[in-house]
Amino acid sequence: MSPLVLALLVGAGLFGIGLYGALSQTNLVMIMMGIELMLGGALVNLVAFWRYLHPDVYSGQVFVLVVMTAMAVEMAVGFAVGIARFRARGSVEMEEAVDLKG
Amino acid sequence: MIAAPGQTVALVVFGASALGFGVAVFRTKSMVRSALALLGSMSAVGGLFLALETEFLGVLQLMMMATEMTIMAIFMVMFMMDPGGLGQMDMTHQKRAAVTAGVVGGLIAVALSALPSWAAVVVAAPAPSVQLHDLGIELMSRSMLIFETAGLAILVAMIVATTIALAEKQP
Amino acid sequence: MIASLLAIIGPLAALTLIVACRRTPAVFALGGALVVFGGAVGGLIDASAGGHASLAFAGMPDLPLRLQHDSLTAILSLTVATVALLVFVYAVGYMQAEPDKVRFFAEMSFFAAAMQGVVLAGDWILLLACWELIGLASYLLIGFWYERPLVPVAATRAFLTTRGADLGLYVAVFALVSTAGTSEVGQSVAANTGQFAIGMLLLLAAMGKSAQVPFHGWLQDAMLGPTPVSALLHSATLVAAGVILLIRSAPLFSAPMLTAVAAIGGLTILVTGVTALAQPDLKRMLAASTSSQLGFMLIGVGAGSPIAALVHLVAHAAMKAALFLGAGIFQHALDSTVFAELRGVGRAYPRVFILFALAGLALAGVPPLAGFWSKDPIEAATMESPLGAFLFPLALVGLLLTGAYVARALRLLWQGSAQRRPVPGMAWMLVGLAGVSLLATFLGPALVPTAQFVGGRLPTNVSSQLLGFGTAVLGLLAGWSGFTDRLAAPIASPAARGFRVGDGWIDVAVRPALALARAADRLDLSLYDTSVSAGRIGLGLATGPLARADALVERLVLAVGSDGLLLARASRRFDEVDLDGLIGQLVRATQLLGERVRRLQTGFVSRELLLAASGAAVILVLALAAR
Repeated sequence: MSPLVLALLVGAGLFGIGLYGALSQTNLVMIMMGIELMLGGALVNLVAFWRYLHPDVYSGQVFVLVVMTAMAVEMAVGFAVGIARFRARGSVEMEEAVDLKG
Repeated sequence: MIAAPGQTVALVVFGASALGFGVAVFRTKSMVRSALALLGSMSAVGGLFLALETEFLGVLQLMMMATEMTIMAIFMVMFMMDPGGLGQMDMTHQKRAAVTAGVVGGLIAVALSALPSWAAVVVAAPAPSVQLHDLGIELMSRSMLIFETAGLAILVAMIVATTIALAEKQP
Repeated sequence: MIASLLAIIGPLAALTLIVACRRTPAVFALGGALVVFGGAVGGLIDASAGGHASLAFAGMPDLPLRLQHDSLTAILSLTVATVALLVFVYAVGYMQAEPDKVRFFAEMSFFAAAMQGVVLAGDWILLLACWELIGLASYLLIGFWYERPLVPVAATRAFLTTRGADLGLYVAVFALVSTAGTSEVGQSVAANTGQFAIGMLLLLAAMGKSAQVPFHGWLQDAMLGPTPVSALLHSATLVAAGVILLIRSAPLFSAPMLTAVAAIGGLTILVTGVTALAQPDLKRMLAASTSSQLGFMLIGVGAGSPIAALVHLVAHAAMKAALFLGAGIFQHALDSTVFAELRGVGRAYPRVFILFALAGLALAGVPPLAGFWSKDPIEAATMESPLGAFLFPLALVGLLLTGAYVARALRLLWQGSAQRRPVPGMAWMLVGLAGVSLLATFLGPALVPTAQFVGGRLPTNVSSQLLGFGTAVLGLLAGWSGFTDRLAAPIASPAARGFRVGDGWIDVAVRPALALARAADRLDLSLYDTSVSAGRIGLGLATGPLARADALVERLVLAVGSDGLLLARASRRFDEVDLDGLIGQLVRATQLLGERVRRLQTGFVSRELLLAASGAAVILVLALAAR
């Protein structure tokens, strides 16, 4: 079992857990946690690929920076939306957010 | 330079802890404990980066995650009904579907990881100073557009977040 | 040359005047004959002065018509003109009782002009044209009394036989002109010497006109015409035209061809001579005799001496014409030409009989009459020719036969008694008869100079003279005594019919032609009937069925209209019920689908997240599969 495969397995596991969490949680913040975990798994994969296959090409590290940026931005906007929702409805439970029902 | 066997061991340790903490995020009923578990998971990921000799990224990860998880915990306390999780309400829905999705997704990812024949693993990684220098050059030359766009995105996000979060003016 | 032209123009003018004035035709005809005679005499004088002239006038392109005037044509022209004049004189008396004199004299004048044309022609085209014209004149004149039974048949037979044989002349002329490039007689003959086919074709034409075997039958039947016609045409001139043709084209004939000519001549002499012996009719006997004498002339040509044939032609013209004229008087006297009915007519009309007998003896070859002088050269020629072994005995047999039938005729006419009656026009007839008969008597010594004048040698041979005389006397005795009658008795009947096989040419040519004509007529009528009935059917269609068709069409139109309305109603129903229903169903289906899809929009975030995850998974799978 090469270290690459081990790292990739870690990433796969994080992704799976994160997916479960994003789909099963009712709370916005919990959903965001699941998404964070998924992105973390992606990061692990990226770094493993960079380190074990192409350590001379830094596009891998740039990609990692971009993903981290995305994580931060998403969290910021997400919390802002949550604040606004809380103010409007008094809760951030997703089960109650059925305003877009067709 | 970390020796290959040591690297592998560190890899396994950090990886296992990341996974463990990740599971813990959703098993506990307490919001705060979820946030802290997430912090632990992200920190383990940061340690993993360090073990893989990407020092800059590892440090970055640790710093960012620490901050983010802290804010998340604060939010928990602010907006949750039951942050402590002392209530016995099951806060999940469509569990079966979620589990299925999680398992299937995870399995696919595992298959994609293990099955293909990867190229030979490169043993030596560049020195941290070299990495830093080369990463900087990369960012400033080839990936300049990406760098700038990311910065712009962060700026926009800051503005957006601030705008959304501001309370409406009371007449 | 002018004289010769007169010879043709004279009778033509007479013809025109006769037809125009329709009065005193005899006067005009005689006038014409006199002009012809004068012209011929003048022509002879011209020729004896050494003239060889020819007059050319427009004809076909590059083939001008020519009138030739030299010693030969002058002699022939004079012969024809003399006999014609005397016969015309005779005819005035003969035709006194005839109502249709105008037609007769017009046709005789026409013949006279045409015959002069044949004699004087210098090119083939003119000769051919005049040749056909004399055939036409012969037809008209033989059939003069066309109301009498058998006469039209006889005239047609004569015409068709000679016309058929004339095909030979047409083809020969075509060949001669095309090979020689000119139609002038002398030149074209010189250019084609030795051409066997041409020679045989010319012989064929001569056989037809001169009544040689097997074409000899028509002359017998031609005796149904008036006797002047028989005297002029069918003894002296027309039948001589064949011999004239052979004489003029003599240079063309090579030895084998001459053999053929002599063979035909010899055969004719025998067949027609025997026929003459057995004939019960005076004129028919004379016709057979004519054929026989013409056979003599052919033998002369075949023996290599056309001059001998020419001399005999001239003499024979006088002799035979005289015989016929005499026969004509007897015919008028007793209204018949059958020997049985003419018994003793000689005794009743002694002057006529004497003249007749003189001509007959001349024909038999008794010296010093003309016949002796004319037949002897032929016998001498046969002795000289390479075929002498065959021809001389043939000639002698011919002499024998001639003497026999002449004597027979004289005996039959003399023996018995007949009543003398006045014959109208006797004076004229006597004058004409006397003229030719005297010629027949005294022409003899003039024949040798004639031959020299024409420029040829007349063969003479003392042994042939003696033998000829002896044979002639023998023949006369045999005929007078009736010996030949007894001899000829077994073959009398076929001989009387001219040794015809079956119905002769009638079987071979006439009957099939008539059958074809009748069949064509039937076809024609049936075609006519078919077209008429087709027309009738067309008409029928137009009336009866047309009205019915009209009603039918009206019903059809109405039916179409009602069907149209039906279609319209159906279309409307389809439109309103079916199409609308269909559209309505489509609408409802769409609404239903919309309702179902709407349920997807639960609004639940989690649900939507799940859907997003599933979609992402699908895209991932697709992307991997594509790779």
